[in-house]
Amino acid sequence: MIGWADALAAPRSAAAPPPNLAKDELLRRFHPDHADGAMTRLVVGASAGQPCPGALAELLQANALVGDADIAGSLTQDAEVLVIGAGGAGCVAALTAARAGARVLLVSKLRMGDGNTVMAEGGIQAAVGAEDSLQRHFDDTLSGGHFRAERALVAAMVADGPDVIRWLIQQGMSFDLAAGEERAGGRLLRKKPGGATAARLLSYRDYTGLELMRVLREAVLLTPGITVLERHPAIELLSDPHGACAGAVLLDLERRRLVLARAGATVLSTGGAGRLHLAGFPTSNHYGATADGLVLAYRLGARLREIESFQYHPTGIAWPPHLAGTLISEAARAAGATMHNGLGQRFVDELAPRDVVAAAVLRELADGHGVERDGCAGVLLDTPGLEAAQPGILKERLVTLSQLAARAGFDPAQEPCLIRPTLHYQNGGIGIDAAGRTAVRGLLCAGEASGGLHGLNRLMGNALLELVAFGRRAGAAAAESPREERPRGIGLHHLADWERALVAAGLPLTVRAPILFPAYGNVDVAQLLRDAARRAA
Amino acid sequence: MTDTAIPLTFDGHAITAAPGASLLQAWTAAGLPLTENVGCMGQGVCGACRVLVRREGQRIAEAALACETRVEAGMQVAFVEHFPARRAHAYDLAALGDSWAALCAVDAVFPEAKSCRHCGGCDAACPKGIEVQKAVNLAVEGHVFAAGAHFDHCVMCNLCVAACPEDIAPAHLGQFLRRMSASLTLRPGDLLLRLAQIERGQQPIDLDGPQP
Repeated sequence: MIGWADALAAPRSAAAPPPNLAKDELLRRFHPDHADGAMTRLVVGASAGQPCPGALAELLQANALVGDADIAGSLTQDAEVLVIGAGGAGCVAALTAARAGARVLLVSKLRMGDGNTVMAEGGIQAAVGAEDSLQRHFDDTLSGGHFRAERALVAAMVADGPDVIRWLIQQGMSFDLAAGEERAGGRLLRKKPGGATAARLLSYRDYTGLELMRVLREAVLLTPGITVLERHPAIELLSDPHGACAGAVLLDLERRRLVLARAGATVLSTGGAGRLHLAGFPTSNHYGATADGLVLAYRLGARLREIESFQYHPTGIAWPPHLAGTLISEAARAAGATMHNGLGQRFVDELAPRDVVAAAVLRELADGHGVERDGCAGVLLDTPGLEAAQPGILKERLVTLSQLAARAGFDPAQEPCLIRPTLHYQNGGIGIDAAGRTAVRGLLCAGEASGGLHGLNRLMGNALLELVAFGRRAGAAAAESPREERPRGIGLHHLADWERALVAAGLPLTVRAPILFPAYGNVDVAQLLRDAARRAA
Repeated sequence: MTDTAIPLTFDGHAITAAPGASLLQAWTAAGLPLTENVGCMGQGVCGACRVLVRREGQRIAEAALACETRVEAGMQVAFVEHFPARRAHAYDLAALGDSWAALCAVDAVFPEAKSCRHCGGCDAACPKGIEVQKAVNLAVEGHVFAAGAHFDHCVMCNLCVAACPEDIAPAHLGQFLRRMSASLTLRPGDLLLRLAQIERGQQPIDLDGPQP
C-alpha cells in the first residue's frame, strides 16, 4: 500500500493502461462474485439449485413474518392494481395503470421517490445517434452482460428506448442538449457509457435520476386514480387457494397495524439489495434496499435468475470514512477522467464494463499498488487532470461530484478522489416476460427487482431505461388483468407448503424475513408486529 | 465513545457522535430507530431527512438535510416531519395545450404566487441555497422558464412549502415551470428522426445477433 503523500507525489501518467488480463481471468480472480465462499446454493423454492450470495439466501429461505392468524380481522384496502415500491419503476407502473383506467394503490416502505432512482447520476441509454442503432444497443447490452441476459427482454427494452425518452419529455423531464443546439430540432448531448460502442447515454447534468424522479413524483401526486400509502412496507404477499397473487399484507409503520391490500394484479417494484452489504462492501444504495421484494416473490413461487451476480460500481468514495460507499458517477470517467494506482500508473481502460473496472481496482489493492489515506484504501480518480483538460467541467457538468467533494472537505480540482468499489446493483432478480409478468399468476415485476435484462453485468444507463420501459409494460399488463376474475378466498395459503419445504430441507422456521431495514437502523420489526397484534386484539 | 466524542441533542435525545459523522449517522450510531426521514442516506438528493439545526450560540434554527450536515458540539437538532401540502396545486400537463397559455396557466394553478409578501422564509428554509422567493416573483412577472431554471437543484424536500405563509407551494411551482418547459419546448431532432425510423420499420433488431 502506498501512502497518500507518496501517491500524490508520483506523476500521474497519461500513458494508456497495459492490456487487461483476459477478462474472464480478471473477473474470476478479483470480482467479489467469484470470491471463495461467496455463493451458496438455494435448497428450497422454485430456483433451488441456483447459486446465491449466502446473506441473500438466508433471507430467501426464511419463514414469513406473519401467518393466517395474524392477519385475521385486519383492515382491508382494495384496488385493481397494487404497486409495491414507489421508486422509479413503481411510479411509472402506477401512472401507466391509472391512465389505462385502473384504480391503483401505490405503497412504499419509505417516502415516495426515496429510492435508488433519485440517486442515479449518469444517465439513460437510448439509441438516437445517427451512427447508432437499436441493434447496436442490443448487441452492447448482451455482450456487456456476458450473454446471460434474455434476448427477448433486451430487445423489448432497447426498442422502447427512443419512445421512453419521448414519454419522459412529455411528463416534463429535461435532457441536456449538445453545446449550442436548439431546443427544437437540436441534437441531444450524448456520452459513451462504459462497455458501449456508441455515444448513447442521455442525461440531465449529473443528476439524471433526480430530474426523472421529481417529475414522476409530481405526476403521481397529480394523477387521479392513484392512492399513495407511504411508510407501508409489504411484509407478505397474499395468495388465493390456487397460488395466484392477490395483493399484499402491509405494515403501517405510523399506526402500527396491518393492512390487507387486495388487488387483482400486483406489481413488485421494490428495488435491490445493496443494504445487505454483501461481502462486507459499502453500498451506494438507499437505506431501504434490503431485498424485500425478492423474499416475498420467492416465497410465493416466483423464479429467480442471475441472483449470483451483483454490480460493484468501481468508483465509490473510499475516503473520508463518513461518506464511504457514496457514489462518484461514471459520468466522470465518461467525460475523460482517468484512474491511477499509487505509482501514478493507469491500470485499466476506464470505460471498460463496470465489472471489469471494479475487478481491476480490487486487483491493484490486492497487489499492494493501492493508496492509503487515514487508514482508508483505494485508488485515485484524477479529477484535477480532468479539470485541467476541460476547465469548468467540475462546476458545470459534474455538479453532484463537486457537491460531494465539498461535503468530504476537499477540492476535486486540486486533489484526486480516493475511490474503491461499492455495492451498487442487483444484476439479476425475479424472472419476467416481456410484459413484466412473473411465473406467479397476478404478480408482475419491474425495475431492479426483476431479472433478465442485464445478464451478469449492467451497462451504465440501462437501469433508468429498464425501469421506465418495464414500468410501463408491467403497468399496462396489470391494468388489463383486473378485468379478469377477481381472486377469492384470499389469505396466506402458500405458507403451509413453504414451511413444510423449510422443515424438509432442515432449515429453521425461526429465521424470518423480509428484514425491511438494515441492522444498524435499530428497528425491532418483531416488536412492531407485536404492537400491531395487540392493536388488532 | 472516545474522548473526542461530540455531544449534541437530537429530537430530545442527548447523544454523542464521532467527529465527522453526519447527523443521520449520529442518529443510528446512538442506537435510535430509523424508519422515516431517510432515503438516499448521504447523497443529498432525496430530500427525506429534513432537520432544523440550532448551533451553539445561535439564536435562529436553520433548515438542513441530516445526511449532509456534520455533527458539531452543542448542536440541537430536530427532524421535521413530512406532511402534505395544505392544498394540492392540480394541473394536467397534457391539457396545457400550447405555450401561449403558459402565463395564464401559472396564475390559474398557483394564484397565491402573486401574493408573495417577500418574507424570505422560503429562502431561509431551502437547504440547497436556491433563491426561491426571486424565482416565485420571476414566475409571476412572466419569466416562467427563467424562474424554473432557479429550481434546477431542487430535491423536493418541500421545506419551502412548509415555510410559506401564503401557501404558494414554491417547490411545486418550480416543478410545474420546469415540466412545462420540457414538455412544451424540448423536441430534439435526432430523437424525432429515430422515432420516425422505428415507426417506418427501419430499425429492426436481429435477436440472434451477437454470439459469445
